[in-house]
Amino acid sequence: MKIKDIEKYIREHTQADDFICFVSENESHETRFAQNGITQHIAGPKLSISLELSFGEKSGSCRVNQADEASLDFLIKTAEDIARLAPADLEHMPSAGPAKLPKVENCAKATMKLKPKTMVDIVQKSINKAIAANALVSGMCEKHLLKSWTFTKNGFAGSNEGSSFGHSMTLKKGEVETKVSYEAKDYAPFDLDQEFARLKSQAKALASMQSFEAQKIAVILRPEALQELIWYMTWMMNRRQSDEGFTAFTGQMGQKFLGEKFSLYSTLKHKSLSAFPFSSEGLPSTETTWVENGVIKNMPANRYWAQKVGCEPLHIFNMYIPGAESSEEEMMKMVPRGLIINRFWYIRAVDMKVGELTGMTRDGVLYFEDGKIKHAVNNLRFNEIPHEMTRRILALGAEKLASPAMIAPTVLVDGFNFVDKTTF
Amino acid sequence: MKYLDLAMSAATSLGAEYADIRIQKTTDQVIFLRNLSLKSANTSVLNGYGIRVFKDGAWGFAHNKVFNDEAVLATVQKAFDIATLSASVNKKKKLRLAPERSYIASYKTPVKIDPFEVPLSEKVELMMEVNRTMLAFEGIKQAVFYLIAHKDEKLFASTLGTRLDITYQFIDPMITATAVHEGDSQSRTFDEGGRAVGWEWIQSLNLIDKARQVAEEALIKVKAESLGPETRRTLILDPNHLGLTMHESVGHPTELDRVLGWEADYAGVSFATPEKLKNFRYGSEIVNFVGDNTLAEGLATMGFDDDGVPGQKWHIIKDGILNEYGSTRDTAMEIDLGYSRGCNRATYYYDQPINRIPNLYLLPGTQPLTPGELIADTEDGVYIQGRGSFSIDQHRVNFQFGGDFFWEIKNGKLIRPLKKILYKSCNPEFWNSCDAICDQRFWRPFGVVNCGKGQPSQTARMTHGSAPARFRNIRVGGSQ
Repeated sequence: MKIKDIEKYIREHTQADDFICFVSENESHETRFAQNGITQHIAGPKLSISLELSFGEKSGSCRVNQADEASLDFLIKTAEDIARLAPADLEHMPSAGPAKLPKVENCAKATMKLKPKTMVDIVQKSINKAIAANALVSGMCEKHLLKSWTFTKNGFAGSNEGSSFGHSMTLKKGEVETKVSYEAKDYAPFDLDQEFARLKSQAKALASMQSFEAQKIAVILRPEALQELIWYMTWMMNRRQSDEGFTAFTGQMGQKFLGEKFSLYSTLKHKSLSAFPFSSEGLPSTETTWVENGVIKNMPANRYWAQKVGCEPLHIFNMYIPGAESSEEEMMKMVPRGLIINRFWYIRAVDMKVGELTGMTRDGVLYFEDGKIKHAVNNLRFNEIPHEMTRRILALGAEKLASPAMIAPTVLVDGFNFVDKTTF
Repeated sequence: MKYLDLAMSAATSLGAEYADIRIQKTTDQVIFLRNLSLKSANTSVLNGYGIRVFKDGAWGFAHNKVFNDEAVLATVQKAFDIATLSASVNKKKKLRLAPERSYIASYKTPVKIDPFEVPLSEKVELMMEVNRTMLAFEGIKQAVFYLIAHKDEKLFASTLGTRLDITYQFIDPMITATAVHEGDSQSRTFDEGGRAVGWEWIQSLNLIDKARQVAEEALIKVKAESLGPETRRTLILDPNHLGLTMHESVGHPTELDRVLGWEADYAGVSFATPEKLKNFRYGSEIVNFVGDNTLAEGLATMGFDDDGVPGQKWHIIKDGILNEYGSTRDTAMEIDLGYSRGCNRATYYYDQPINRIPNLYLLPGTQPLTPGELIADTEDGVYIQGRGSFSIDQHRVNFQFGGDFFWEIKNGKLIRPLKKILYKSCNPEFWNSCDAICDQRFWRPFGVVNCGKGQPSQTARMTHGSAPARFRNIRVGGSQ
């Protein structure tokens, strides 16, 4: 059954007072390689049809992955049965009505045209380069095409088509281990030679490792590293959680709670940045300022909470953190000594109320002194509070697409709190 | 089902050295209640099949949701084509499969009351009562009940002649109370981590009493003090805390695919490399870890894995020494093991199975020892219950854990509750610092239902377990 037929069938067959339906189709090809050979290789289509409906304030939902009449009957009946049995939801909201949605371009032709044979050739070339470098490479080459539709009883209708291409490589040579990755909606700019050159360069810089004790020290966070901290910070920046007293952001709306040099937006203007045109509740994605020069301008809030507290319902659909022009070389001269961090790993919240996170560095840490890289050091554990960290930003570097939904700069941060070290 | 034979016959005709088909219907019911508001009551049914073809030392895996002859044959062809493409890459690097015999068998999780047969109204009524009980305590600002019921119905066939019919189920209740007091917010959670049992387990838990306890302890916790700077202290860890610590610091490092570097690009590798087998002191002499996919009520107990290998029981760490890994048919042969330990599991029909942690538990102490005696024998330490923050490096060496509830121990007594406690340690220091484990009477299972691993990401389930155990000279202190 096609999407229009699914919509028609659900509209005709449900007795519910209200509903929202989300349909997605995904076609993927995923080639996983490790230690210079392919270990997994997966392809196939996926379908998901989710229906959430209500009788008055009583709601139920169901999801199936088949679009025949019997499955849709099951979908509708199961959701209706649940809704009839459920208690009234004190926070029930009617579904969204018609909305003007932004035009977005999340699909790239080059990604859509990418064939499995080409992807396997990329893997073979990645492995050949590793063999030539007398090293082992592990990674992933993947392509995803996604189509999704949302419609409601009250007349909301939205759709999105997206593509993504990802390629990552972790190189192991002797004791050195480091990684590069490319992840974007568009395959066209991907340049394996350039990626491998970056990988080799990182590996070379890490060759002479020296032991380094955990301490508070200046760090240059590359975009991939900053991205991971900011994802967690925005997760804790939820309006309701803050209003209810559960996070560090309680009472900070409109306050200069973050650093002067830090701003954060969701935007539809950057062509390379993916942007889903609407939220799961049917809210159109709009240009949003979350933080400007350290001042919290907005926090994400769903429709229920927005109505309750009288704010605008907003969602984070991507993140843009503006950078500036400081190069890593210039940053290294701004502080006596410090570390360059490629990525973090295994970040977890330590204290939600304080906003404290823990995690490890990964894929290479470099020590610099007197404006120059001296040597690599072992990986380190941090316990750090990202919003406080933004107050210690000394300089911003060039911004870069860190993932399909995040543009972030390199930043120089003073006094980053490392608390432990590991053995490699 | 006719598609099993059709697919295996087609794969053989195409020239597959080995192939299997897994027809899998997964049903999940998730109910989420927050402050008496039903945030989610959802049933999800995912039905389809995945076909693996092994050819020239390489895998191809294709999945589909369309059930007819044409679609099944097309999916076999796709898996075969992908395997052929895989085999064209680095022909010197060929995988091998450990020998395995064929089985014709069925397995069904023993369930007295099927959770899917319990009316939603009965479930929600209980959950509301639990919520109300917690919210009745002044200072409790958030009460949450999260309930998952899960069922996999699988038909498996392989070109070895194996035919399996498996119905696997688990249920997982989790309740949390959050208290807010003088600018701080602290939660306390009841979480056993899920079990492969039916609704009868929920009935036996007396969740109303648990709700009162959780609320009271959240209020105690939010008013508690922290510990101050980190120093070396003794830890006594409860089974429902130690489950996660063993998961991260023993379970993952002994997955053979990580040891081989197959997860190097994502989840990471392992310090517990093959040359350490049978000689590396992973823990003190009292530390014995068993992999056991036959464990009653275990989340990884499902008769057979997704290679068609039966559940087994074996020592992973024996008398403190690294003994063996959790393995699959393809990883086992990389270290010439010659057999698989049956640890290949997939989440949904569209997932290619990967090497997962088995049910893995710490054997209890052999001498009679109660938790009370263990605390009485400890001069200065911290007793930790429940899951908290957790983080470990990608070689599985350095780690930091929090917990859910803490007591300071002084001179053999629990003297005051604490909050915001963290401990830091590393392998093999941590397990070598274990100097006492309570006896069998105090052994408790702890399930993990959300073990994320792999690219594309998958979620696996397994049960851990232990009796309360003591660890000496660990870095323990308050968070920032």
